[in-house]
Amino acid sequence: MNLRADHVAGATFVIFGAAIIALSGDLPVGRLSMPGSGFLPMIVATLTIVFGAALVLRAGESGRFSEVDWTDGKHAAMVTIITIAAISLYTYLGYIITMTLMVIALLVLIERRNPLRAAAYGATLVLVTYACFVLLLKTPLPASPFSY
Amino acid sequence: MDRRTFVIGTTATATAFAAGPAFAQDAFPSRAVTIICAFPPGGANDIVTRPIAAALEPILKQPVVVETKAGAGGQVGAQVAASAKPDGYTLLSHNNGISGYAEVDKLFGRQPKTTRADFIPLARLIADPVLLVVNDQQPYKTLKDFIDDAKKRPEAIVYSSGGLYGATHLPVAIFEKATGIPKLRHLPTNGGGPAITALLGNNAQMSTQTVSATLQHIKAGKLRALASFGGARSKVLPDVPTLKELGYDAEYYLWVGIFAPKGTPASALATLSAALDKAAASDVFKNVVSGLGQEFAYLNAKDFEAFWTADAKRSDEAVQLIGKQG
Amino acid sequence: MESTLLSLAHGFAVAFQPDNLWYAFLGCLVGTLVGVLPGIGPLSGISILLPVTFGLNATQAVIMLAGIYYGSQYGGSTTSILMRIPGEASSVMTCIDGNAMARKGRAGAALCIAAVGSFVAGTFGVIMLTLVAPPLATIALRFGPPEYTALLVLGLIFLAYMSSTSLVRTLLMACIGLLLGMIGIDNMTGHFRYSFDLAELGDGIGIVPVAVGLFGLGEILSTPSHKVRGEVISPKFRELLPNRQEWGESVMPIARGSVLGFIIGIIPGSAHIISSFLSYALEKRVSKHPEEFGKGAVAGVAGPESANNAASTGAFVPMLSLGIPTGPITAVLIGALMIHGVPAGPQLVTEHPDLFWGFVASMYVGNLMLLALNLPLVSVFVTVLRIPYAYLYPLIIMFCIVGVYEVSHSIVDVYIMLIMGVLGYGLRKFNFDPAPLVLGLVIAPLLEQSLRQSLIMSNGNYFIFFSRPIALGLLIVCAVLLALSALAFALKRKDWRAKLAEAEAGEAQG
Repeated sequence: MNLRADHVAGATFVIFGAAIIALSGDLPVGRLSMPGSGFLPMIVATLTIVFGAALVLRAGESGRFSEVDWTDGKHAAMVTIITIAAISLYTYLGYIITMTLMVIALLVLIERRNPLRAAAYGATLVLVTYACFVLLLKTPLPASPFSY
Repeated sequence: MDRRTFVIGTTATATAFAAGPAFAQDAFPSRAVTIICAFPPGGANDIVTRPIAAALEPILKQPVVVETKAGAGGQVGAQVAASAKPDGYTLLSHNNGISGYAEVDKLFGRQPKTTRADFIPLARLIADPVLLVVNDQQPYKTLKDFIDDAKKRPEAIVYSSGGLYGATHLPVAIFEKATGIPKLRHLPTNGGGPAITALLGNNAQMSTQTVSATLQHIKAGKLRALASFGGARSKVLPDVPTLKELGYDAEYYLWVGIFAPKGTPASALATLSAALDKAAASDVFKNVVSGLGQEFAYLNAKDFEAFWTADAKRSDEAVQLIGKQG
Repeated sequence: MESTLLSLAHGFAVAFQPDNLWYAFLGCLVGTLVGVLPGIGPLSGISILLPVTFGLNATQAVIMLAGIYYGSQYGGSTTSILMRIPGEASSVMTCIDGNAMARKGRAGAALCIAAVGSFVAGTFGVIMLTLVAPPLATIALRFGPPEYTALLVLGLIFLAYMSSTSLVRTLLMACIGLLLGMIGIDNMTGHFRYSFDLAELGDGIGIVPVAVGLFGLGEILSTPSHKVRGEVISPKFRELLPNRQEWGESVMPIARGSVLGFIIGIIPGSAHIISSFLSYALEKRVSKHPEEFGKGAVAGVAGPESANNAASTGAFVPMLSLGIPTGPITAVLIGALMIHGVPAGPQLVTEHPDLFWGFVASMYVGNLMLLALNLPLVSVFVTVLRIPYAYLYPLIIMFCIVGVYEVSHSIVDVYIMLIMGVLGYGLRKFNFDPAPLVLGLVIAPLLEQSLRQSLIMSNGNYFIFFSRPIALGLLIVCAVLLALSALAFALKRKDWRAKLAEAEAGEAQG
C-alpha cells in the first residue's frame, strides 16, 4: 500500500480526537437536558475521530505522502527557533532589545544580509514603533531591567 | 526623559548596561510604579483604577502605569502580582474575587494559585452595596412577596449573575441562607452587563447587582429594588430597605481595593499608603466616585484590613454554601 | 419623524461647534492609529485615553472616545491586507482575500474598498440609529440565550460555505476550532477544561493569537525569501484606486454587509464578532464565482469590512437607548459617561438631548472625516509593500509578537500564536484551509454557553427553542438552508465545490 498524504493527516486527527477524550477524564458529561462541562467536548472529539477516519478512507484522492514538498522546511525551522528565542526573552529584556536582536538575527542568520545594515534597519523599525506605542498612545510595552 | 532618549540612542550597546539596577538605591519611588488591573476595561476596577493612578502621579512624582492583566475571573492578574518582585513598584487592583479563589480551588481539589496571605491590603477605593432587583414584569412589590413566592415554587425563579462564584453570585447564596428559602435557579452569564441584560430581557427574573449598575434602570422603572445588602440605606435610593433592618443577617458589597505583594518593604508600604490616602481625597477621584452614583467609601490600609478579614469570611461561607456544581 | 429631524439639526449645531469638531477629529485620528497598530484595539485605546478626557465635558469626551471606537474599525483592516495580520477579531476575514488582492498588486484597491465600505456601512448605521433606535433596542432585548443558540446554529451551517476545500476537510477544521474554543473555565460549572493548570488559559484561547498565528506567521514559515520571485510591487498612483469592475463587484456586498452587520450589531452580547464571518460566508454563498474567494475576491473584502463597521455602529443602539452595554467597548463608554456625571440609561435622550443628538451628529461628521483621513493614507500604507520581502517578513514577525502580546499582555498568548503558526504551516502542507477553524473557535464558547443557558431557563426542555418567535424563525432558516443543500445533493446536481474540483483537475492535467 502506498502511503497517501491524507492517511497521515486523517490518522493525526483520529489520534487528536482520542487524546481529547482521554484528557477529559473527570469532566462531568451530564445529560442531554442538562449538559455538563464534558458534554460538548465529547461530541466534538467524537466527530473529529469520525471525520479523520473518513479522510483516511478517501485518502486515495490525495497525493503521495512522500511527494509533500518540504523544501521550505529549513527556513520554517530557523524562523521558528529565532521566534521562540525572541518570545522567551521578550518579557525579560523588554521590547527594544529583544525586537532589535530578533530582526538582526533573522536578517543575518537566515537572509545572510550585511550585519550593519540589518542592525540599522532593526533599530529604526523598533524605535519608530516604540514611539508610536509608548509616546503617542501611552501603551506600556515590556521593559528591560534597565527600565526603558 | 533625557535619560530615556539617551538610553534609546545606545540600544545597540545595551549589553554594557550592567550598571542599570544601581538606580534602585534611590528613595522610593525612583521609577514608574505599575498597578496591575486584574479586570478588563468596562468593569468597576478599570474605571476607578485609572483615575486613582492619575491622581497618584503628582503625589509620588513618578509615572503610575495601569497594566491590564485580565483573565480567569481576575486570577491571572492576582497570580502575576503575587509572583512580581515585592519592591513596591508592582501593585494590584482587585475586587471581592481575590477572597474566594482559594476556597473554590479547595472545592474542586485544585492547588490554589494564590491565597489571601500573598497580598497586603493597602486601600479600599470603593464599596458599592449590592441590591436585590427584579424586572418590571414580576409581581413582587416587597421582599416579603418575593420570599413567599420563592418558598412556594422552589427552583422556579431564575436569577442571573455575572459568573459562577462571582461578586453577583455569592450574595444570592448569602440571601438564601439568611432567609431560609429553597435554592433559586442560577443563570450564569459572562459579566455584570450581560447579567443585567438578561434580567431586563426577562430571561432571568432576579439578580443581585450594585447600586451604580442598576440605578438608571430603577429610575426608569425597568427594574425594582426589593432590598439592599448595604449596612445602611443608600442615599440615592432611600426607599429601599436593607436586609439588616428586615431582620436578615446579610451584607455584601462590590468593592475594589489596592494590594501589594507579600514581602513588600514596610517603608515602601508606608509611602504608598500615605499617597493613596491623599490621592483618594483629590477632586479627580471624588468626582469619579460621585459620577458613578456611589458614596465615598474609601478605607485606609488599617481599616481595609479589618474589613477584608470580615468580608473574606462571608465570601468563604458563601462559596461553601454554593458548593460544587454539575 | 419631523421631531427627529429637528433634534438631529440641533445635534449638528452641537457637533459643528469648533471644540466638538476638534475632539471628533482627534478621536478619529487616534482611532485610525489604534486600528492600524496591531494589538491595541479600541478597547485598550479608549480606556488608556479615558483619563485624558477628565478635563473635558461629557459631550466632548464621548464624541472623542466614540471616535476612537469607530475610527479603529477603519484602520483595522490595514495590517490584515498588507501583512495578513488581523489586529482584532473583526478583521480576521479581511486578511484572506484582502491579502490575496495585495499579492496581485491590488493592495491599494483593497484598502480603498475597505475604507469606502466602512464609510457606507458606518453612515448607514448612524442613519438607522437616528431613525429607529428606540423600537429596535426593545426588540434587541428579546434576544436571549435561545435566540443566540439558533443564530449560532445558523453560523455553523454557514461554516460549510467558508472554505473551498472538501466538506470533510472543512468540518475537520471546524471541529478543531470548536475544541480549541472549549479550553478554559466552564462558565456554567467552574471546571477547568484542558488548561493544564495555566490561569492564562482560564478564559480560553483568544481569537487574535490563533488568527495571527495561522494566517500571519504560518504564511511566513512556508514562504522562504528565495521563493518570492516577483519584483517588489510598486503601484503607480492610478493603480491605487479600484477600477470600474472592482467598484461594481463591491456595491452589493457593501450593501448586504451593512444591513447584516447592523442587525447583528444591535444584539446585546458578543454577537458582533461573528458579523464579519457571516458576511464572508454569505457573500461566498450568493456569489456567481465562489471559486475566487481566497484568491482575491473583491466581495470577500467589501462584505466583511462593511459588516464589522455597521456592527460597531449598531452596538450604540442598545447603549444609547437602553443604557445597557452590548460589549466591553460600550461598557467602557458608559463608564466614561458616568464619570462625567451623565448616567447612561433609558432616559438619556430626554435628560441630555444635547449630548445624545450632538453625539449622533458627530458620527455623521466623524465618518466623513475618517474617509478623508483614510483614503490619502492608502498611498502611504502601500509603500510598506515596497520593502523587499527579506526585510519585510522580520517586520511582520515583530508585529505578530507585539500585536498578540498587547491584546492582553500575556506571553502565553504569544506562545499560542507561535504554536498556531507552526500548525498553520503543517495544515498548508496537507491542503487544509484554516478559516473554518477560526470560525469554530469564535462560535464554540458562545454556542455552548447560550445552549446551556437556554436549558437552565427551560429546566432542560428543548421546546424553548421552538416556543420563542425569533429563535423559531432562525431555526426555520437553518432548516431551509439544509434542505436546499440536501435537495441539490439528491438531484445529483453538482454544486460549485464539485465544479471547482473538476476545474482544478482539468488545470492540473493541462
